[in-house]
Amino acid sequence: MGPGLIGYIIRRLLWAVPVLFVISVLVFGMLRMAPGDPVDRILGTHYEESAARQLRQKYGYDQPLYVQYVKYFQNMAHGELGVSTLHTDFTATDVILPKVWISSQIGLFALILTFGLGIPVGIYAALARGTFLDPLVISWWLALDAVPVFVLTTLTSWLFALKLGLVGLSWDGVYSTHIILPVLVLALPGVAGVARFMRASVISVMGEDYIRTARAKGLKESTVVFSHIARNAMLPMITVIGLSLPGIAGGALFVEQGFGIPGIANESLQAALAPDYDVILALVLFGSVLFVLANVVIDVMYAYVDPRVRLGARRG
Amino acid sequence: MGVVAFLILVVGVVFVVALAGGGSDNGDQQSSPGQSGTTTPKKAVSGDICKGNTLITFGEDPASVLDPIQVRDQGTAEYVVEIFGGLVTLGLDAKVGPDIAKNWDVSADGTTYTFHLRDDVVFHDSRRVTAQDVKYSLERAADPKNASPTVVEYLGDIVGLKERFNGKATEVSGVRVVNDQTIEIKITHPSEYFIDELTLPVAFVVDKTQIEKDPRNWTRHPNGTGPFKLQEFTPAQRIILARNDRYHLGAAKLDKVDFELGGGSIVTRYENNELHVGGVPAIELEAVKNGTSPLAKDYHPQPEMALNYMAFNAKQAPFDDPKVRQAMAMSIDRNNINNVLLFNAWRVADGILPPDMPGYQESVKSLAYDPQKAKDLLASSQYAGKMPRIVLTYAGTAGDAPETLQAIQSAWKTNLGIQVDLQATDYSAYLRELRKGTFQMFVAGWIADYPDPENFLDKLFASDSPENELNYKDATVDGWLFQARAERDRTKRFALYNQAEQKILDDAVIIPTFWPVNQTVVKPCVKNWPSVALTVPKYRYIEIDANAK
Repeated sequence: MGPGLIGYIIRRLLWAVPVLFVISVLVFGMLRMAPGDPVDRILGTHYEESAARQLRQKYGYDQPLYVQYVKYFQNMAHGELGVSTLHTDFTATDVILPKVWISSQIGLFALILTFGLGIPVGIYAALARGTFLDPLVISWWLALDAVPVFVLTTLTSWLFALKLGLVGLSWDGVYSTHIILPVLVLALPGVAGVARFMRASVISVMGEDYIRTARAKGLKESTVVFSHIARNAMLPMITVIGLSLPGIAGGALFVEQGFGIPGIANESLQAALAPDYDVILALVLFGSVLFVLANVVIDVMYAYVDPRVRLGARRG
Repeated sequence: MGVVAFLILVVGVVFVVALAGGGSDNGDQQSSPGQSGTTTPKKAVSGDICKGNTLITFGEDPASVLDPIQVRDQGTAEYVVEIFGGLVTLGLDAKVGPDIAKNWDVSADGTTYTFHLRDDVVFHDSRRVTAQDVKYSLERAADPKNASPTVVEYLGDIVGLKERFNGKATEVSGVRVVNDQTIEIKITHPSEYFIDELTLPVAFVVDKTQIEKDPRNWTRHPNGTGPFKLQEFTPAQRIILARNDRYHLGAAKLDKVDFELGGGSIVTRYENNELHVGGVPAIELEAVKNGTSPLAKDYHPQPEMALNYMAFNAKQAPFDDPKVRQAMAMSIDRNNINNVLLFNAWRVADGILPPDMPGYQESVKSLAYDPQKAKDLLASSQYAGKMPRIVLTYAGTAGDAPETLQAIQSAWKTNLGIQVDLQATDYSAYLRELRKGTFQMFVAGWIADYPDPENFLDKLFASDSPENELNYKDATVDGWLFQARAERDRTKRFALYNQAEQKILDDAVIIPTFWPVNQTVVKPCVKNWPSVALTVPKYRYIEIDANAK
């Protein structure tokens, strides 16, 4: 990693600061504009006014909006993201981190499975182009993609848990057999997309001159497929993988709801409905940071895979 | 063949990567915050839940901290009544019984209560509970610094409590420690339901030592006197209560109660033997009721001491004319709705007080379904032919309104020719507007805090009650309700409430719709599951019988 690359990464990360600032102002303002506040929800209809006053004071809602924001920003600079009103007594970080961690692990397993299946399926379909196997393989995965997630959830729960008794459905931590169904339901519908992308990529690489050259040199077919076609066809795939990364930390609402997973998507929904101001803000900021990071990671990965890409090099 | 070999290789690589990824994640996990959710003992394998001694049920995240004086909602109270206790408690029969107090005397004029405390009550940390602890807890509840949302509403009858809450006194003068085992509480007027109010969380005993040592975070590991201790609370995942072996009213039989907060498909998990208690989804209700569902044998409907209703704002047009309200009430066939949409699983509210409530009187009737009379009433009202727009607001999210509301809407259209718009409002905004009294017409519900007709009729309809969000004011009704407050003869008191109830129903200030019923399924191995849904300490009675079939 040359100095140019490090400088590039630092510049990109610094750019994230104004982006986050603008996002936080926007979201902060929008939340406060919505009718009803967390205190309404905590206290219900009947309560002493003093209780509401005290709570609004505790959470700072009695201050003018800009004061509230400045305070929030100061706390944010110290790494404090506020307090959850939905899960009273817990800080926003306390609430979010365990859930992000849970969703990320499940998401990562699903991602590995999606690409682990999608890439070889795509290569296979491309190589089988012109035979009946190509459309057969692709359409089978497309069919899975076409089934709504909540149907898959119900079907797999019914089949594997109730009928076959193979797995449990209650949340039992990430490292238990109970996680198999959610990961499958999360991963399988995505395989078709990856496979089709990979198929197109392989087909376009197969038409390149250098592939013909490789064959002409008398290289073994497996060498041609592995070293030449697959490697070059993976290049555009990196963008797809990279852009999928922030998604895995975001969780998947239907899967989390369907299997009762205490993940971040479930939390986001609850926070939005409550409303839980600080948790919503923290979630949005967190998502933005991930997105920025993912883009940097993609650029860096490109530099590694494709020697022609030189990040941070001066142009002209 | 080259391709097949390649595929096998790639799949193999992916598996190795997945395993390695999983393995390294496992290593990281030791220090990860996600660990909090996975430290709990592994759940019993499917089918085995009846062999363990932990009741696994579902619950919701508490809306407020687990501090008795801050509890406002029933969901939080479900946990608080198991962790804490007060001088008196409610039993499963909805009757007031002794808790920390072994007995009590009431003075001849009905205004002085003397409680004699048991000498074997301890907090979870084994410290003994004395009259000083009771005094401290009531003082703390009344302290304006703590801003309890409920203390004035439920304990406002204690002499000097309102003065203390409003900062005009430094102490609640009506609460006096006689000695370690005796405490005396004076109230401003004789009240037959005062003792019921003492069963509410706001009157529970808390540990001064703990609160002073850790004022910010003590509610995360509260030191109460209840039958269960809080063992674990992981938001959106689970709450685990563990038995308090030294509980003075007899230790619970269960080791633990595990409330799963994560949601998911409760009924599927119930069917898969992962939960002891489940809810019947609406779609399954018909099959459960007619016995064709496998769940039917576990069906355990629990009537709630609650009322669902629709309320009119009698200050806004067109509801300032009682005839419009009566016409709308009489044009809904609630029996038919219950029959068709709810498979008769709920109870039509033919009054305000639910049948399980003391003081319930069958002869008190809500306006019966009579579309012809409804039409006539409307025709003779001042709004005949010039009906303003009517909006019925309910708490909910976007999408179709609940089916029962749609049925009611269509009944008004068919029977009266009135178009009522249904408007879903976000819950917190709904609460705020309800409090401000801006709705023209709204859907609401009420769950009894304690089993006394006062808790329904006085709280909802007395003109000076803070809970009267209808702004209903009727001199006759007020007269009866105020008289009932101080009446000490039970029969006379209930007769006053029945009179008031009938008048309120005839006025059609509200349209009572249903007395809701919890649609629950309970595994046969769970013994002593309560037959009525009440927010009372109940888990200490429950047993898991491994031999049950």
